[in-house]
Amino acid sequence: MSIIVIGTGPAGIQAAIHAARGKTAVTMIGKRTNSAMYGAHVENYFGIPGRTEGSEILNTGIEQAVSFGSKHIEENVIAMERSGDVFIVRTESGNEIEGKAVILASGISRTKLNVPGEKEFFGKGVSYCASCDCNFYKGKRVAVVGDESEAAASAELMTRYASAVFWITKDTKASDVMIKKAADAGAEIISENLAEIMGKEKVTRIKFTDTSMLNVDGVFIELGGRSSSDLAMDIDVMPNADGTINVNEKCETSVSGVFACGDITGKPWQIAKAVGQGAVAGMNALAYVKGDKNVG
Amino acid sequence: MVTELNESTFEAFIKNNGTVLIDCWAPWCRPCRMLAPIIEELSEEMKGKAAFGKLNTDENQGIAMRFGINAIPTLLVFKDGVMYEPLIGLMPKEDIKRYLLGL
Repeated sequence: MSIIVIGTGPAGIQAAIHAARGKTAVTMIGKRTNSAMYGAHVENYFGIPGRTEGSEILNTGIEQAVSFGSKHIEENVIAMERSGDVFIVRTESGNEIEGKAVILASGISRTKLNVPGEKEFFGKGVSYCASCDCNFYKGKRVAVVGDESEAAASAELMTRYASAVFWITKDTKASDVMIKKAADAGAEIISENLAEIMGKEKVTRIKFTDTSMLNVDGVFIELGGRSSSDLAMDIDVMPNADGTINVNEKCETSVSGVFACGDITGKPWQIAKAVGQGAVAGMNALAYVKGDKNVG
Repeated sequence: MVTELNESTFEAFIKNNGTVLIDCWAPWCRPCRMLAPIIEELSEEMKGKAAFGKLNTDENQGIAMRFGINAIPTLLVFKDGVMYEPLIGLMPKEDIKRYLLGL
């Protein structure tokens, strides 16, 4: 039985390296560009002097994990499921991977768009959770903003409630499967950047960077893929209010077979801490699938 | 303790208590599921200082519409029958407590 690592930042890669060296099937799932390290310059990591591009270290790390036998699927995870002691992970292209252990290492997601009106109209038309708030927009006009498959899924969901759904995606990174689903469901795709959310008491319209406007009652902001904390709930791991997940010294969560490491376990958000926890999670996940209780 | 409220018990609960917090939720809402144990804990910590209720917005859509709720979780807050600015979204326990104590 295999180990599934979700996230390909420093925590996930290190976890995959340690797990794959134990001759167990390991699958890493995640887009490297989603890691906070991808666009960062690294100066404070042991053994790497000067300013090194984070992307360079990640690319090397993924190759290294693959050379030890880990698989890598460069996709976002859209759902997880727990069936007895087996975990099933679904990716945006429709891949399904089964594993006996899951390591959550996909960090903390950016959720805010940072446009004028976003904060002001939160709860007054602006929502960050389509699945929570869809029911309040029956027969209304809504925009869904975001480039990833998650936004496409939300747009598709909203077509079942709203009278009109506009999916705002300037530079779509969603999978073809998800784009087709949203379009087939009737979501209208608008290839523009959102500039402002406008209204009085509530949202009434949005403005794009080309200054054109669109009348809507709601704006659903769905940036990036689903966060680790959101995915964790699919398999019964309950996150804290700030989205972090509690782990013990073995990086075990409250659910047997589920481990977490890196930014998702809380501060400090440092590569060194992520790597350290990644090693611990990888080794303990390996011990778990092999039934070995004596690994620290 | 968090009291389950509905259309018929909602008004009296606000009227019969001083500081009142009502957690408006729905079964499919993940952040609501995360917030529920926090509200439960807070109700124990603030026993005697505030009364805590919860309202299923799916089953009580009339109240949800009346209070203009279009995002959940929403925490409706009242003091001596007067409605204060609601708290929207998932937030840490201490922030909710501070808000209630500051009313």
